[in-house]
Amino acid sequence: MEALGARRGLLISAAVVVALVVALFVWNQEQALVIGVLTGSAYGLVALGLVLVYKSSGVFNFAQGEFGGVALVTLYLLHGNGIPYGLAVVGALLAAILVGVLAEFIVVRPLFEAPRVTLLVASAGVALLAIAIQVWFFDSQGRSIAKAFNRTDRLTVLDVQIADQRLWLIATLVLLAVVLGLFFTRSDLGLAVVGASQEPTATELVGISVRRLSTFTWALAALLGGLAAVIAVPHNASFTPGVMTSVYLIPAFTAAVLGGMTSLPGAIVGGVLVGILQSVATSAPIFQDGGALAIPGTPGTLIVFVVLVAVLVVKPSGLLGKVA
Amino acid sequence: MTVTSADGAGPVQEVLVDDVAPAARDRARPGLLGWIPRLVVWAGLAYVVLVLPLGRSAIDVQTFTRAACYAIVALSLNVLLGYVGQISLGHAAFVGIGAFMSAYMMTVQGQSFWVGVLAAAGIGAAQALVLGGVSLRIRGLYFALVTLAYGLVAEQNIFQIASFTGGGAGQRAPKPDWFESEWRYYYLCLAFLALVLFLDWRLMKTKGGRALLALRENPRVASTFGINVRMATLFAFVVSGTFAGLAGALIAHNDLSVSADVWNFNLSLVFIIMTVVGGLRSRYGLVIGGAFFALMPYLLHQIPGLENGLSKIPAPFDLTPELAPLVIGPLLLLVNLIQFPGGIGQQVRPVARWLGGHRFDPHDRGLKEVQITDVRA
Repeated sequence: MEALGARRGLLISAAVVVALVVALFVWNQEQALVIGVLTGSAYGLVALGLVLVYKSSGVFNFAQGEFGGVALVTLYLLHGNGIPYGLAVVGALLAAILVGVLAEFIVVRPLFEAPRVTLLVASAGVALLAIAIQVWFFDSQGRSIAKAFNRTDRLTVLDVQIADQRLWLIATLVLLAVVLGLFFTRSDLGLAVVGASQEPTATELVGISVRRLSTFTWALAALLGGLAAVIAVPHNASFTPGVMTSVYLIPAFTAAVLGGMTSLPGAIVGGVLVGILQSVATSAPIFQDGGALAIPGTPGTLIVFVVLVAVLVVKPSGLLGKVA
Repeated sequence: MTVTSADGAGPVQEVLVDDVAPAARDRARPGLLGWIPRLVVWAGLAYVVLVLPLGRSAIDVQTFTRAACYAIVALSLNVLLGYVGQISLGHAAFVGIGAFMSAYMMTVQGQSFWVGVLAAAGIGAAQALVLGGVSLRIRGLYFALVTLAYGLVAEQNIFQIASFTGGGAGQRAPKPDWFESEWRYYYLCLAFLALVLFLDWRLMKTKGGRALLALRENPRVASTFGINVRMATLFAFVVSGTFAGLAGALIAHNDLSVSADVWNFNLSLVFIIMTVVGGLRSRYGLVIGGAFFALMPYLLHQIPGLENGLSKIPAPFDLTPELAPLVIGPLLLLVNLIQFPGGIGQQVRPVARWLGGHRFDPHDRGLKEVQITDVRA
């Protein structure tokens, strides 16, 4: 029954994707498709971290974006002080992991038994603190940040040039999907994390420390958040404090909800779907000034909101998830 | 067994404790002498709130007015977070749309201030009705997510409608006739705060309000007793939206203009933090919490030597008073959540009870009543 439900969800999402693609080609908007997949994979990467934390501790982690924010600041500082890019990236990821572990120790542990909404408020507090500290040490100005790969004309799909930085993003995403998939189904540690999320008491009974697993999960989620930031943001060449929260967090949450909040492949598929929807909303003439459904400001935001509410009202379990 | 009145000021009362139920013992009223120190403290509070601002500059009074408005915002969020246990991460949108609505009615439509305030409260209620009607079957974490996304929609779509928000320059929001001076407007906002406090108190006594309280205790039992869970929650959401719109209008006319870039996610978070730090379901705690966060930059400026001291700290660490709430607020929130779930309201409860004519009991933390941990997922 459950498998049937999941398969139907897969069919529905596949149908939605096919319909979108056909519509885009009919409207000559196939560029929006490519751009959407590219931005969507960044959302998917952030969403992976959200799903991971939700799977293991049932928390909506509003600090997920700012793990990336910390990584960006560290990358900026290290690379700005003459440390080679590769080492700077490693340092940035370590800083993100450190913040994740700290957040787990200071916030999640004392509130282990507290209701999940309390933890949500606490994680939002962590996010605000991280943003405030970034503003404190810099200011709210945008800073330019170096890319790992600068070439932009290597590959062209449907008249859209794909920068190497984007290729790196997609490669990372695919690699992570495979590695995490194997990790959660094949490795002892991964199985322990899954077990702790489903039956914490039973997991404790067989001698696994649920609390230590929680630290591990938050570190892993912070690593994913940091990866998402250092790969996705330099494409736009500048960052401001809080950019990961204001630009990436909501679409990523929408992506995770679309995927059912517990499914790792669901998060990636959801991310790509949200990215396509956003870029269609941005480029479709119907939503522009003078169009029949003109949307002021950034049309993508409204579209993401409508999709989020629609999914939650119509199919709260998401397109690929089992139980929301 | 006999006891004497604990605060020492009142005449010694002999009460047979064993014969009296705790509730009745609690109701023991102080005598005339017992009221004198209480009245002195009341007069001191009234002096600080009503008279002290008279001697300050207009800019300072503007800050005090903002404190009154933030107190209304805290009360508004409390209806949702404290009474129903639903969290709104987009409250800046409700307050901001109220602010723009009132400014728009006055500047563009040429209506009076009072029409503007009514329109702001109305649009707050209408937003809550629509958003709640669509999404209140979504509860807990998912509802928080919907409000967060709605806040972003307000920021990036609604506030970009130039005819409504006056574009990049912002919408002008003049003060009402007769209230042009900062001081008079300050008292007007205090009056509105008193009105909101009164409404909040009375609403909680109505059938709908008592339904909410029952709902918070145990939704299943409540619905067994015929309480319509969705309607009660929607009712709370509408009340919360109305208060938020009203607060927005008052903030707009206090600042004389509204611009779009203030009403962002960070502000929504500050609103939640001040509500939780103030203390859920504790009206005086919420007022103190809201006022505290609005006044924090001002208070930091007031501490002698602090400003100089802070600026002496080498460059990257100099914390400006403007930035301080953003750094201190989350820290307070985390301490609060982990250590003192009842917030400021829990800490000042003995004093507040004493002021209300009860005995001074330093151990009365009302813990059973005030716990953020009963916010449900």
